[in-house]
Amino acid sequence: MTGGHQSSVCLAEIEVAHRYKTPYVNTNCWSDDIRKKGYAEVFNPGNYNTRVSSAMAETIAALKVRNVIAFAENTDYGIGQAKLLGEFLQKTAPQTQYKYVALDRAGKDFTPAVLPLRASPPDLVVNIMLPPAAYILMNQLYEQGVAPSAKTAFYDGAGIADYPDFWQNVKEAGKHMLAFGLYHPAMPMPALGKQVGEIYQKQSGNEPNRLIFQAADSVLLIARAIEQAKSTDGAAIVKALQGIDFEGVRGKFSFAQEAGYKYQQWVEIPYVTYQLTEVNQPVSKTTLIQVPGKPLLIDKVIKPAK
Amino acid sequence: MLPLDLFVNGLIIGLYYALMAVGLTMIFGILKVVNFAHGEFYMIGAYTYTLVSLALGVPPWLALPVAAASGALLGWATERFLMRPLYAGYGSWALMKDEYAVVVTFGLSLLLINLVDKIVGPYPMRGPSLSEVTRMAIGPFMASGQKLITAGVAIVLLIGLALFIKRSLWGRQVQAVAQNRLGASIAGIDTARASSIIFMASGVLAALAGALLAPVINPAPDVGVFPAVKSYVIVVIGGMGSIPGSVVAALALGVLESFGAVYISYDYRDTFGLVLLILVLLFRPQGLFGERAREV
Repeated sequence: MTGGHQSSVCLAEIEVAHRYKTPYVNTNCWSDDIRKKGYAEVFNPGNYNTRVSSAMAETIAALKVRNVIAFAENTDYGIGQAKLLGEFLQKTAPQTQYKYVALDRAGKDFTPAVLPLRASPPDLVVNIMLPPAAYILMNQLYEQGVAPSAKTAFYDGAGIADYPDFWQNVKEAGKHMLAFGLYHPAMPMPALGKQVGEIYQKQSGNEPNRLIFQAADSVLLIARAIEQAKSTDGAAIVKALQGIDFEGVRGKFSFAQEAGYKYQQWVEIPYVTYQLTEVNQPVSKTTLIQVPGKPLLIDKVIKPAK
Repeated sequence: MLPLDLFVNGLIIGLYYALMAVGLTMIFGILKVVNFAHGEFYMIGAYTYTLVSLALGVPPWLALPVAAASGALLGWATERFLMRPLYAGYGSWALMKDEYAVVVTFGLSLLLINLVDKIVGPYPMRGPSLSEVTRMAIGPFMASGQKLITAGVAIVLLIGLALFIKRSLWGRQVQAVAQNRLGASIAGIDTARASSIIFMASGVLAALAGALLAPVINPAPDVGVFPAVKSYVIVVIGGMGSIPGSVVAALALGVLESFGAVYISYDYRDTFGLVLLILVLLFRPQGLFGERAREV
């Protein structure tokens, strides 16, 4: 089984996979709880909350901001991410005052949550919500003049900037957004990854995004495991995946066996930080603030004039 | 200035709720059934407006009447093909088939959501704005041009509807059918046409609400579910079948949610309406503007 895209969904699905001893390759569910279950059938070549929270905390510390508010969706992913970010900030930026507000992911009006920020604007607003709620929140933050503004920066930790419908839904509200990302055309990538990206672009007419590569790796992992096990038996595939040295579209990796959030996870998953500086800007034209394994270039971050 | 901000924002949200709830209460008033597909009238209006504008390049102000027409057409078709069997024979004292209405409108709701999901896709689509002003300050209050236009159009529509029901011949016929369907038919009123008018008006209001909010709510196929639930709550609080009751209850709910979200807890924002609903059912079960009635 593969293809999961919402932590709450994955948490339900892995129970079934575990019960029937079916190998499960988690494509894009970030909640650490999925790993912490310790199910031998579940493999995680996608991103995870601890990775994002530690990356965000590092960026926030470099930005030297004092007051940070995060809007998190009321899901396993959102609340888990928001809490983790608080824990990491205590270590990396203890002087930062941080709080998070959980919002309904099915909500359509977040103005009451935004209005109090007009009176006392924070230095940074962090998004931990997925579309469509994330888009609505962004538009309402912009409409109320809260963020992005000269006083308050806006930082997306949910990886929504490369969604195909991002600009159509946010327009001006997306300009100056700082983004955590798992793919940028300027980041190093194996030849196979470049090939997948080119084929996707040719077929769809859109720039590839991280989900394309994550999905390709998920399918490829299963194929390689079957080849290695010389069997489609579930137990044989699980054993093959546990010992695999995988060379996929995003790089080489194997799965850690350490208990906790690292369990059967690609731990050193590469990420980038970039800033959107124009409306309708493709990811390839954004300003890279951090490439994988390199220090943050925080001086490149720009703020709106007002 | 936060309280003023919250009050004005609450009133605007209340106006959006009112557009939805009034259509629902009108249908209940005349047919005594709840239309569970009402949220999907809203969704169809939002998508029609967005797709006509973006895909066909029609200017947004012209796409608005097209969205209204889609709501009217959907309302007419629902009444003509799905609702009419409900009251066929009602004029001769036959029993209404309430359970049929629940099943058929619920089925229609699921059908429309899944049709749009399959044909258009599951991704949210932001409709084009009627105003280029993305934010403006009016004293201490800030809003987008779209929000203010939506609020203005909602006021005009609600006043227009009130005048239509009170002053026009068709409106009076609708009132007569709402009071006594059999009596109205004996007096020569075409009750089927009155029902058709109400479904079309209800469809127009919901579709226009969806279209006006398309640039704010970024419609997806299930976008109508939540406003529909709010509308059911508002209709019961206001008094089932009462148009003024629905408007007052919608505005009150908008303001209550706005203040409650800030001064009590944002997490419980959607429960304030339900608490109010329970209180109304306990102390004034007919609703704020409803009338006590007894049938024998």
